[in-house]
Amino acid sequence: MEYYMYNDTKEVTPYERMAAALNGEKTDRVPVNYYARWAPLELLGLNFMQSWEDPDLWVKSQILAQERFQYDVVMDYVMMGPVEEAIGLKLKYPENDMPQLAVPLIKSKEDMKKAKWKLDPRKDGNMPKVLYAIRRMKEELIKRGKGRQRVPILTWGSCPSRTAACLTGFKEWFMIIAEDPDWAVELMELAFDGWLQMVIAEWEAGADAVWINDPVSSRDCISRQHYEKLTQPYERKFVEAIRHHTGMKVIFHPCGNWHDRMDLVYQTQADGYFPGPMDIEMLVKTAVEMNAAGKSRVKFINGNIGAATKATSDGKTAMPWATTMLKGTPEEIEREGKKCIETIEGAGFRCILGTNCFDTQNSPFVNRDAVVFTARKYGQYK
Amino acid sequence: MSLLDDIQKSVYDGKTAPTLELVKKALEAGLNAQDILHKALIPGIRDCGAGYEKGDKFIPEMLLSAKAMKQSIELLKPHLAAGGEMETGKVVMATVEGDVHDIGLELVTVMLESAGFKVRYMGGDVATPDIIAAVQEFKPHLLGLSALLTNTMEAMPKVIKILEEKGLRSSVKVMVGGAPVKQDFCDEIGADGYAYDAGAAVPMALKLRKSMGG
Repeated sequence: MEYYMYNDTKEVTPYERMAAALNGEKTDRVPVNYYARWAPLELLGLNFMQSWEDPDLWVKSQILAQERFQYDVVMDYVMMGPVEEAIGLKLKYPENDMPQLAVPLIKSKEDMKKAKWKLDPRKDGNMPKVLYAIRRMKEELIKRGKGRQRVPILTWGSCPSRTAACLTGFKEWFMIIAEDPDWAVELMELAFDGWLQMVIAEWEAGADAVWINDPVSSRDCISRQHYEKLTQPYERKFVEAIRHHTGMKVIFHPCGNWHDRMDLVYQTQADGYFPGPMDIEMLVKTAVEMNAAGKSRVKFINGNIGAATKATSDGKTAMPWATTMLKGTPEEIEREGKKCIETIEGAGFRCILGTNCFDTQNSPFVNRDAVVFTARKYGQYK
Repeated sequence: MSLLDDIQKSVYDGKTAPTLELVKKALEAGLNAQDILHKALIPGIRDCGAGYEKGDKFIPEMLLSAKAMKQSIELLKPHLAAGGEMETGKVVMATVEGDVHDIGLELVTVMLESAGFKVRYMGGDVATPDIIAAVQEFKPHLLGLSALLTNTMEAMPKVIKILEEKGLRSSVKVMVGGAPVKQDFCDEIGADGYAYDAGAAVPMALKLRKSMGG
């Protein structure tokens, strides 16, 4: 009599699954990362301010939610604020949302003298709080893994264009681009170092990978020409500096609609991309072309449930953005997730299954579960 | 091309100094200030909105056009006051309760002001009773509501319901916008108009205002 025996009982941890995907390699299956900011807080019944005032609560929520939802990464606060505040910007802190710009710091060139450009992330403003959260998360993950870190920590950095826009105010930033592009460059040059130092400190505190984003250079905001000449070079510089100083894999998030400039986005040389609401087939096709031309190094695409159709760029589609997670059904998530996996993996990239925006607040747990279910069902490597 | 056509194009191109020169020239030539406003400046800013939708214009360029428009209106004001009504209409703009995001709201406000609307800008996270109070006090033709979050957009139908309960609904057209808001949501909650972005907001506001006899 023969008994069926498992010939492969080796467990693949989320850490190994993510690390492989970030390198463009395969393990057991497609990993999941939907940038779970709200699921952890909702699981523990917390609002954002409670977790901001007590970083141990943030750490606890991230770790317990990863164990509950079984996605493959935990995150620090990943938000605009700590660096900008240390530079001198005033923020407002809503009870259950990320900090927002309260009063712009730089209204004239003279105001640039008010800014503190050289920062020490270990001392200045709220930056030490974020670093504390990363350190605690690392300690706790290693403790829970009995000496082995089973889940990677994802941290965040702000592209210079975003930081500069936060300091000047968004409307003013676009006016500066229109009227005084040299000043825009000067601002990005100065804004560059603060977040770079922070990302280096985040890595030293224990972060394993970083994602960066730019919400102010999309097609909804500036022309392709302005992107190419002004802000894209600073994104590329930011990616290169992070890689040089930390060696971390870099995920770039072009936030919003960038469909007319994804070729330029891919030339920022990030390891992979977490795109906004854009057509997944266009995203993949352009990545294939840019890699083939030797102009990019795309290894993975993280997304893109929520808008994996062409029509969502037109503003008329019934279920745009990440609202699929809020208002859709598990079946819709499975259908869109399957398409993402097949399209991305079919082109030879690694898929990290996720949404096209942050984990949407108050999404049903069953929808969040559906993302991991979809990766398990359709993302197995043979 | 006529002088009015030149002004329209100059606004579209976002050239403040040449636009002001052309407006001065038009006034000196005896053109009616109302005609300069309604046949040159407003069409210019409306073209700009259409250019944004087509992908020919972007926020920086729209802001330049808005600046040219606003300064031209300042130049026209003394002449408009003598010649009749100078506002295109009155608008209250607010991001709904629980939602602090006001970047888009500010851009739409700039564009509406540049199109000649008088705007009461309320900013982000405005409590529903405060929006209702502003409608009662300011008596706007239009109410612009914005939301960035999927869970806060649900405050929009509540505002509309209270407007109805207070008997204010027929006096004001409600425009909605913001990233998660789409036409189907606008229809579902009984709003009067939806604009995808700041470029689309001006034509929609003008259309709604016209439907009220403005």
